[in-house]
Amino acid sequence: MGTIRELWDNALSKYADITAVRWLEKKEIKERSYKELGEDIMAIRKGLQAEGFAGAHIALIGTSSVEWIGSYLGITTGQNVAVPLDAGLPSEDLIDLLNDADAQALFLSPKRKDLAEQVRSQCPEIQKIWLLQETMEDGYATVEDLKAAGLDTADVAGRQAEEIVTLIYTSGTTGKSKGVMLTQNNLCENAASISFTAEPGTPVLSVLPIHHAFCLVMDWLKGFSLGATLCINDSFMHMVRNMGIFKPEIMLMVPLMIETIYKKLAAADPNIPPAVLAENVFGGKLRIIFTGGAHLDPFYIEKFAAYGVQVLEGYGMSECSPVISSNTPDDHKDGSIGRPLPNVQIRFEDGEICVQGSSVMQGYYHMPEETAKTLKDGWLHTGDKGYLDEDGFLFINGRVKNLIILSNGENISPEEIEGKLGLHPLVGEVIVTGENNGLTARIYPDQDVVKFKNLEEEAVKAEIQQMLDDYNRRQPTYRQITGLVVRKNPFHRNATGKIKRPEAELD
Amino acid sequence: MNRAAEFKKIVAQYCSVTAEDMTEEMRFREDLGFSSLDFMSLLGELEDTFDVELEQENAVQVRTIGDALNMLEELAA
Repeated sequence: MGTIRELWDNALSKYADITAVRWLEKKEIKERSYKELGEDIMAIRKGLQAEGFAGAHIALIGTSSVEWIGSYLGITTGQNVAVPLDAGLPSEDLIDLLNDADAQALFLSPKRKDLAEQVRSQCPEIQKIWLLQETMEDGYATVEDLKAAGLDTADVAGRQAEEIVTLIYTSGTTGKSKGVMLTQNNLCENAASISFTAEPGTPVLSVLPIHHAFCLVMDWLKGFSLGATLCINDSFMHMVRNMGIFKPEIMLMVPLMIETIYKKLAAADPNIPPAVLAENVFGGKLRIIFTGGAHLDPFYIEKFAAYGVQVLEGYGMSECSPVISSNTPDDHKDGSIGRPLPNVQIRFEDGEICVQGSSVMQGYYHMPEETAKTLKDGWLHTGDKGYLDEDGFLFINGRVKNLIILSNGENISPEEIEGKLGLHPLVGEVIVTGENNGLTARIYPDQDVVKFKNLEEEAVKAEIQQMLDDYNRRQPTYRQITGLVVRKNPFHRNATGKIKRPEAELD
Repeated sequence: MNRAAEFKKIVAQYCSVTAEDMTEEMRFREDLGFSSLDFMSLLGELEDTFDVELEQENAVQVRTIGDALNMLEELAA
């Protein structure tokens, strides 16, 4: 059993003089040691106590910053519950989430100052708003004001391991966002169960959104537990430049980022030696990329290895704090999503991966029915289909939710077919849907290939149909594709880049 | 190399259309197959190459090669 207070205090005692956070301010590198960050955290914790917040839900709206992480730890090492929200959401969605979470106070990015007035008028439970900045400002309270408020207050103890520490809102493709309730122990056990270690002071460049559990737990909490130096990427626009500046050894990414970086590697002059290219693109020190959130084609693992970068795929969901399984530097199998973590038990129900263990959530906030659908008999139903191979590595081969059930009783996993059809060079994006009791492939052609081959619309359709005919010949009847729609536009995607399946028919 | 030619050479890294075949009407996403992250990465590279500062909020409005070239011309002016 562990708490964030214990995790942080332990890091503070071991790594006081090491740099905890490094970031850019007008192109100048700034940094703060574990000791200095510890002082911020304690001041915020005391400030919240002085302002009368204990057991309160306190929201954070902002991108990664030293003020954000200081405030998050100020909340969670004391007596309160943190609710990190996506600063990129429209104002009305943020207002809804603040109300849904029963937030009583808010830390707000100065870039979203526009929201303050709306929050005051539309979120009756919110008593205080502090801007995430370390200077005072007329008309607003800031983190500095909060720290000043707690100057004469005694420090407060942390909460118990089994108490809720965070609500993480999940961005499902459909339906209402759900507030995942995670305990102190859920998060700490997840960070501790990843079998990975690094020397204190190892630079980690944090590029994912900090309100996501993967970034929050694996970059920040795990990083701090190892004494790592967390470097903040200010924008994806500057990721390559920032890799050159901060020279990270370790990064967490989603597959789309890996694909973008690969394009730059592939387009480089082949006469440039790999070590020089690695220096230009990765900063020269990068050795490990952990990836998750979507499936990564193993093709990239091999390609990045040529530049000395090991890509390790994992799997998880916010409901599991979030990592369920992961490849590690010493124990990995390409194409798999690694072995389940030691604190996780796995079983399969009709092929669905079900998880039990110390990182599984307590439920969805205020949503007993949704909770009951997902947590049955103590097992978290992931909605993903998968299997363990003979060596104990986990593989995913579809989503339960997306199963197409035909009237003959056959269940079809569209992802499996999409994966096969997607191998054809002319197929840019594909979604398989069940229609008229048969399967329809909706395909957005790869525009590079269309241009390269100089194909007219009819020729594109004919070539794709030929590919489907070839595919169908190798399949049992129920798996054959009977309809084809060639799209004029790419599919709609959600905020995390996943295709919105329910909108697949809209072009 | 003039600005337009250098710009197209950078864009060509992210797609299979060559700089020579690129026209001003081509759209990044639909015609050149850029992902959202490809586009963000391109913006950063343009900043470094042409020594300009792009406002992310304005830059994401850019749709075509022509739009991007106009934006660069304005910033460099």
